[in-house]
Amino acid sequence: MSGGGDAVPGEESGGVPGFEIAEAMNAARLATLGMLLAGVAHEVNTPLGALASNHDVLKRALEKLQDILADEVVDESELVEVRRIVRALAGIMRVNDLAIERVVGLVASLRTFGRLDRSQVDRVDLHEGIDTTLVLLRHRLEDRIVIRREFGELPLVECYPLQLNQVFMNLLINAVQAIAGPGEILIRTRPAGQSWVELLFRDTWSGMDPETVQRIFEPGFTTKDRRVGMGMGLLMSRQVVDRHGGTIDVRSEPGGGSTFTLRLPVALPPHSDPAGTGGGSGS
Amino acid sequence: MLERRVGTVFLVDDEEMVLAALQTFLELETAYTVRNFTSPEEALEAVKSEPVDVVVADFMMPDMDGISFLKEVRALKSHVSRILLTGYADVENAVRAINEAGLYYYLEKPWDNEHLRMVIRNGMERSALVNELDARISALENANEELSEVRKRLIRMFL
Repeated sequence: MSGGGDAVPGEESGGVPGFEIAEAMNAARLATLGMLLAGVAHEVNTPLGALASNHDVLKRALEKLQDILADEVVDESELVEVRRIVRALAGIMRVNDLAIERVVGLVASLRTFGRLDRSQVDRVDLHEGIDTTLVLLRHRLEDRIVIRREFGELPLVECYPLQLNQVFMNLLINAVQAIAGPGEILIRTRPAGQSWVELLFRDTWSGMDPETVQRIFEPGFTTKDRRVGMGMGLLMSRQVVDRHGGTIDVRSEPGGGSTFTLRLPVALPPHSDPAGTGGGSGS
Repeated sequence: MLERRVGTVFLVDDEEMVLAALQTFLELETAYTVRNFTSPEEALEAVKSEPVDVVVADFMMPDMDGISFLKEVRALKSHVSRILLTGYADVENAVRAINEAGLYYYLEKPWDNEHLRMVIRNGMERSALVNELDARISALENANEELSEVRKRLIRMFL
């Protein structure tokens, strides 16, 4: 998904030594982690701001009450002040409920994304992974990108859920970066026959020319600014999908947006290796 | 402890919890009238029809970002002091906000209540001064018009 900038190929692509690819794949994983952390920091900041303000107000309210009670007498004007303070305390309770609920929800999202409490291979609802990724990317969508979810009835899919979540994050970040103005990202899912599922990610931006489409899965190929991990996200995504015995295709036309389609079997192929083969893992 | 001067503050943020926290603080420690808006469009309608001295707006809101919103506030009522409260700290946005929306102050989340109170109080003073200046300028303009009328009449009398 190109933002329309000039294509900047990476190292002489095609001639990249294997160990450099492995290093670059690690950089891509770190870049995904960086996006994740930025999302968490942003999502925590709002409830934290509210809680910090409330904590300060609580201290002020307590001091006021202590002042009023210092002489053991509460006169009429002080009673008015006490009522004001009680109103403030009620406000604090209301906000704290919301803030705590938000942080608890965020931690649940992180657990889902990172699979902290579950096994590496699992049969999962892929929609849960997509939705979690969207929560963590909310700050990147800003106010300009609308997400349209057209989720079909999917069976549970046997997979490496954390790895697929990273693929979702890569595809969604690509789409977000491709859309320069206000736009839309469509996520459509459906079963494909008895034993496959299909996931489609489409952006509404400028699309890519045929040469870019052809090279998009090449190591180090990027149309974005060169930064650590750039140009490796899609390669990493394809390796993860390969590992699952699935396919990933891209269709794009200049002016018509870009569509990435993932097809995954509902059961992992026999002897599937979590680290992948062929210079993919680097770990 | 209460602020002596009374004025009106509009708070605009799509996050209910931020609005409620700001409002709780301002109502406990100041005598300002505080109004909350989760929608920038609704806030603009209120700016048109109601008295307001200071507007505190979030940067990232659905439908309209804080800078565009504050630009429109300036177009409607230029004396209103405009404050951007943002969780998305970056220099580029700060500069854009200051240049495009004639920003009075730029605050980052999480904010410090005491600092916020001072910024709002100074914003109130600025707003009152600008209002007074506008009133004096228009009084001067009126006086000037009257003078030139008198001058024309005097000239006509002696010619």
